[in-house]
Amino acid sequence: MNTLWSDAFKTLSKNKPALLSLFFIIFIILVALFANLLAPYGYEIQNPSQRLMFPNRTFWMGTDILGRDLLSRVIYGSRMSISVGLIVAICSLIVGTLYGSLSGYVGGKIDNLLMRIVDILYTFPSLLLIILIRVIFGQGLFGIFLALTIVGWVDVSRIVRGQVLQLKEMAFIEAARAVGVKNRFIIFKHILPNILGPIIVTLTFEIPAAILSESFLSFIGLGLQPPFSSWGSLANDGFQAFKSFPHLIIFPGFSIFLTVLAFNLLGDGLRDALDPKLKNA
Amino acid sequence: MPWIQNLKTHERTQPMKKIYGIILALIILVIAWNFFGPKKFHSHPEKEFRFVIASEPPTLDWSLATDNVSADILFNLMEGLIQFDSDLNVKPALAERWDISSDGKRYTFHLRSDALWTDGKPILASHFVDGWERLLNPKTASDYAYFLFDVKNAKEYNAGKLTDFDTVGIHAQDDHTLVVDLWHPASYFLKIPFFWVTFPIRKDIIEQFKDAWTDPKNIVTCGPFRLKEWKHDYSVTLEANPSYYGEKPKISTATAYIINEDSTALSLYDTNKVDLIRRIPPLLISHYKNLADYKNSPFLRGYYYGMNVKKKPFTDSRIRKAFSLAIDRSQLSTILQGNQIPTSSWIPKGMFGYDETIGLKFDKEKAQLLLAQAGYPKGEHFPSIKMVYDTRDDNKIIAEFLQSQWKEHLNVTVSIDNQEWKVHLKMLETNPPELWRLGWGADFPDPDNFMNLFTSYSGNNHTQWKNKEYDQLIEEAAKELDSQKRLTLYQKAQHLLTEEDVPIIPLFIDSQNVLLKSYVKGYTLNPMSNNILKNISISKND
Repeated sequence: MNTLWSDAFKTLSKNKPALLSLFFIIFIILVALFANLLAPYGYEIQNPSQRLMFPNRTFWMGTDILGRDLLSRVIYGSRMSISVGLIVAICSLIVGTLYGSLSGYVGGKIDNLLMRIVDILYTFPSLLLIILIRVIFGQGLFGIFLALTIVGWVDVSRIVRGQVLQLKEMAFIEAARAVGVKNRFIIFKHILPNILGPIIVTLTFEIPAAILSESFLSFIGLGLQPPFSSWGSLANDGFQAFKSFPHLIIFPGFSIFLTVLAFNLLGDGLRDALDPKLKNA
Repeated sequence: MPWIQNLKTHERTQPMKKIYGIILALIILVIAWNFFGPKKFHSHPEKEFRFVIASEPPTLDWSLATDNVSADILFNLMEGLIQFDSDLNVKPALAERWDISSDGKRYTFHLRSDALWTDGKPILASHFVDGWERLLNPKTASDYAYFLFDVKNAKEYNAGKLTDFDTVGIHAQDDHTLVVDLWHPASYFLKIPFFWVTFPIRKDIIEQFKDAWTDPKNIVTCGPFRLKEWKHDYSVTLEANPSYYGEKPKISTATAYIINEDSTALSLYDTNKVDLIRRIPPLLISHYKNLADYKNSPFLRGYYYGMNVKKKPFTDSRIRKAFSLAIDRSQLSTILQGNQIPTSSWIPKGMFGYDETIGLKFDKEKAQLLLAQAGYPKGEHFPSIKMVYDTRDDNKIIAEFLQSQWKEHLNVTVSIDNQEWKVHLKMLETNPPELWRLGWGADFPDPDNFMNLFTSYSGNNHTQWKNKEYDQLIEEAAKELDSQKRLTLYQKAQHLLTEEDVPIIPLFIDSQNVLLKSYVKGYTLNPMSNNILKNISISKND
């Protein structure tokens, strides 16, 4: 085990874009964690007499129509965007992993049934599903988590099932079964640790997907309600006036862009590092 | 044999490359044509006027229409007994003159004899009687029936207590004379027959075509324009009516495009696809303010937040007062930038009875004190409440402003929700939330139209607030002919509405912010924002 992870880290550290992305992600997470210390002003403090200012010394990213400091809003927005990304990705990962490994390991009719359910969820237009859930569970943060998780876990379950199917035919699993090891023990102690690599890679792709989905939802007005704001809702606020006040969309837009790009580059790097087939290629 | 494969791919890519090249060249040509090609490409027929309406008109049946969008079309298809000039003075329209009896209770309208319907038949007094009967008929269930309740027995007929319309005070004395009897003198009654629900109707047409009578091929109208085409959810086209009695319009057609996004409408205006838009999002107004096309003018329209006085915590008038007191309304004009006038009273500026001294002015200490007296010192343990607005850019900004004002001054957290206009109206009728947004524009320029809104019997009062004293003041003021006494009555009523019982939080008096192409002449912005197109002309000299 040790050699696998240290090998992976070596490969990763040679991949400069992925390493840079890793540092960037750590930076963004720190910003989100310490938003209240870093933001020069409160995110909801309004001062109409200083409305719609361009970036200057006092307001590094300018101000919006109600005179709120955009830098503070982007910093606090990172909190929303990152936490939505992380929580949704982890939730979908847990649900998807359990579901996928159960389906793959048990096999037979149950596998067939479970996978058809996944197929149905897959064919259902995800935007429609999200809107439906938002209507039922209201416009709060919980509704967003739930909606994005319900859409997100499906991918994970398919990947995990495929991995489990491959693994369970292997000799060491059969050996474990032959000695009479309990199924639960086999799944948690033998199968899951062996597919941890692909799971982590999936996680790094699920996080940016969730961030993007949340931004998209906020952009079309289905996301967070004021005074909370994520990068998506900030971009939505500034979208109309991109000709006269471009700073209102550029800063939140670039925040989304850079973060999603970083997660994707890191995910690529991790896949290269953790996939045994690509080793020494 | 790698070289064979290479050869094959080579053969394949060559013609593909050519096709890509041709496509690319075509794209570049098209783009270049758009930029540098002759400008006539974008021009439109000289006599066509194009404007924007915010939604599909819910109906063109003027007895049933209740909204601004339908009105934008109806005021061009039809005319009433009277019309207003740009300063809101009463001018003759279908009635060429009128007499009012000395006791103020009998109105006799003498109709023009030369006015014709679009099917060539003359307009008779009986068409007005038919129209008013239809409006009052309980089967029609028109929201605006109460407009005629000053007429003798009209309320009783509408309630179904009387079934014989002859007992109602509306009669056709002869083909061209309409006589109206009122219960009591009403100083504003002459302004009512401007409103679309009082237009004459053709009963024969409605009976013949039933619900389809407003289709372009069936509808019969008498205004300066007639309905040419109605592409649902896309556009409504009007054309000049050759049988109109007055001066014929100088434009041949007017097309209303149905566009519900303000920013979309703006970009159509920027690209010369429309000639007039009548709302500019607050974020963009400073950009357009310096253009010669920009017009700003006063508007008889109040913007307010209502409270549901049946829902906790707004059952307590101290809390209602605290919420109204805690808003620094002067900041609204800075935020909105369109010459909106912050107000704490209800009758708008420009209307008889406007009094800016009335209402609860910003007073943080008093607001906090009242909130503490009501049991929530420093906003502690205040229940979670919701404010709801109809989805629109300016509404969102104002809601965020109010949210932060209440947070900052009362330490109270209000959550925000928004919904589509139709859903919003439906919710207000069935189950209004604690706090909700609405506006009210003048249907006719008299304070009765504004103050009547919050009487216990008004169908548009969603606050659940019922106050007998208020009802009485409004009824008395309606009858009062002495303007000084009338003013005192309205002042008392406004005190009650905005200082003592406070079921509403008035915020500002709206203004008209319009972009109109410079080649359009003769479009007047009257304070009721009536979209009257009969006088406009288009002259392009470039």
